[in-house]
Amino acid sequence: MRARVHGDRGWGIARVVFLALLTLFTLLPMVWMLLTSMKTQFAASQYPPEWWPRNVTFEQYFILLSPANETGREFLRYMFNSLWVSFATTVLSVMVAVPAAYAFSRFRFPGRNLLFYSVLLRNMFPAVVFLMPLFILMRWLHLVNTELSLILTYLTFGLPLSIWLLKGFYDNIPAQLEQAARIDGATRFQAFIQIVMPLSSPGIIATAIYSFILAWNEYVYALTFLNDKSKLTLPVGLQRFFTEYTTNWPGLMAASFITSVPVVVLFLVLQKYFVRALTEGAVKA
Amino acid sequence: MAEVRLVDIVKNYGAFTAVDHVSLTIADGEFVALVGPSGCGKTTSLNLVAGLIEQTAGDIFIGDRRVNGLDPKDRDIAMVFQNYALYPNKTVFKNLAFPLKMRKLPRADIDRKVRAAAKVLDIEHLLERRPRELSGGQQQRVALGRALVRDPRAFLMDEPLSNLDAKLRGQMRAELKRFHQDLHATVIYVTHDQLEAVTMADRMAVMNGGKLQQYDTPARVFSNPVNIFVAGFVGSPAMNLLYGLMEGANRVGRDGWAVELSAENAGRAARATGREVVLGARHSTIALHREHVAGAVPGRVYTVEPTGDVTFVHVRVAQTIVVVSVAPSVMLAIDDPVWLGFDQNKLHLFDGTTGDAL
Repeated sequence: MRARVHGDRGWGIARVVFLALLTLFTLLPMVWMLLTSMKTQFAASQYPPEWWPRNVTFEQYFILLSPANETGREFLRYMFNSLWVSFATTVLSVMVAVPAAYAFSRFRFPGRNLLFYSVLLRNMFPAVVFLMPLFILMRWLHLVNTELSLILTYLTFGLPLSIWLLKGFYDNIPAQLEQAARIDGATRFQAFIQIVMPLSSPGIIATAIYSFILAWNEYVYALTFLNDKSKLTLPVGLQRFFTEYTTNWPGLMAASFITSVPVVVLFLVLQKYFVRALTEGAVKA
Repeated sequence: MAEVRLVDIVKNYGAFTAVDHVSLTIADGEFVALVGPSGCGKTTSLNLVAGLIEQTAGDIFIGDRRVNGLDPKDRDIAMVFQNYALYPNKTVFKNLAFPLKMRKLPRADIDRKVRAAAKVLDIEHLLERRPRELSGGQQQRVALGRALVRDPRAFLMDEPLSNLDAKLRGQMRAELKRFHQDLHATVIYVTHDQLEAVTMADRMAVMNGGKLQQYDTPARVFSNPVNIFVAGFVGSPAMNLLYGLMEGANRVGRDGWAVELSAENAGRAARATGREVVLGARHSTIALHREHVAGAVPGRVYTVEPTGDVTFVHVRVAQTIVVVSVAPSVMLAIDDPVWLGFDQNKLHLFDGTTGDAL
């Protein structure tokens, strides 16, 4: 009995150490990025490095976020492009994934399984494989150098997983709930909107976050499909910063930090919807 | 409230026939139980009436209206589901209000009706709770309330009590019966539990293999089962069935047992299509003797089940077990030799080939 308690405590400590190391590994680059962004250019290029910035300055942030100067205008432009592409991708993928997943979950139609698995086929190949074919396709559609080309591409990447994820949610919502709603006077569509949709909101939110992050972070396709400087998204824009302002490490780090903010905020705001098990209490098992 | 009529209903799923030419009229204000083992087509029949699925052939009438192809919402029926199907994201009040809201009633009317229904069901104090915060019995009441809150033309109930514990089930059975009488409601009640059907229903429709076997009052189904299936399904313990062969004109037997038939029963047995005749006897119509009696069938005690009021003795006769009820004072040990005397006036005879009553 005592030995068991000791054994458990031993594991407990090992677990804490392991998690602490993992956290450190994840957080350190972020912290270094944040610290560097608040240094002066001179301090940032010192060797041995200045571990803790002696003169904290937010100068780089003011430059990047102010439309008054060239760099700021450029950065804000990229940011706006990224937001637009990511937002459009998110909205469209939810609009497509929700009814598609619902149909896969509830209806039996010819070719259902074939269609369902072919949806996943795309995910069996690395994304780069499709770079050239998609580029040729986009050129043929006269979409090269437009945001639409990126939105369409990101949709094809994000949708398979979104549909699978949401289908799982709909499978877990008992069909009797919709039947009850239809008997209570709802049309099939009303039953879906009023009863099923609210219950699947954790799934919809998860799907939305996934699509948004996917679009927000994507680099290779954005680099290939876009060449007009005014249309670049943040990841590609950051890379230009990197080449054009090689010496300006604090500026680059500040830009990187700002880029990571929306994703973090999105998670913090919406994470509570993930954990709530909304279907609890719906039916008696 | 209205009459519900099923006319020659067929429902096929591919090659499988779930409901096979069923015709059934449920009178206005009548409580009808659809009973049968799982997969017999009773729930499918109920869903057909509800409009959740569409029949392959046949007509369904609710009142004077033919409802073929109508959406569930346009059939004006209410349904209680086995798993209750409460809307988990809505409070009890909103669950009850939902059918009224969908019918666009004024807010004040909704409020009044919901509170009235809640009062009847004694769930007024739960109106602001969510389904997951309720006990099983309370959830059941809310599910019932959602059906009672409006004036549907018929109530459809799909095993509404099967998720409750035995005590609560007994209590709800009494309450449901009382509701039915107070509201003069047309109720179609699906259950696999013949006890619920017998205790609550005005008439019961026994189904098996998608076919309607017998549709009559519980008392008549109990006393005059039309075939072996109904005889074995209704009553607890079930009717004893002895599969025998005609041995001469007035004797049925097999593997060491034989029963002499009375003249009347012999006449009925003569109508059998083949030599196979099945004897059916309720546990209470069999006399148990401890020594040999002329005409009695010998057997050995297999097990003894005292229930308090009555003791059920399982007797092994050749390959079958026959259940006999005796007074609790009768003491028997396993493997005691006993003799069973069948009451000729209460003996059921079935054609062993077709299964029909003779």
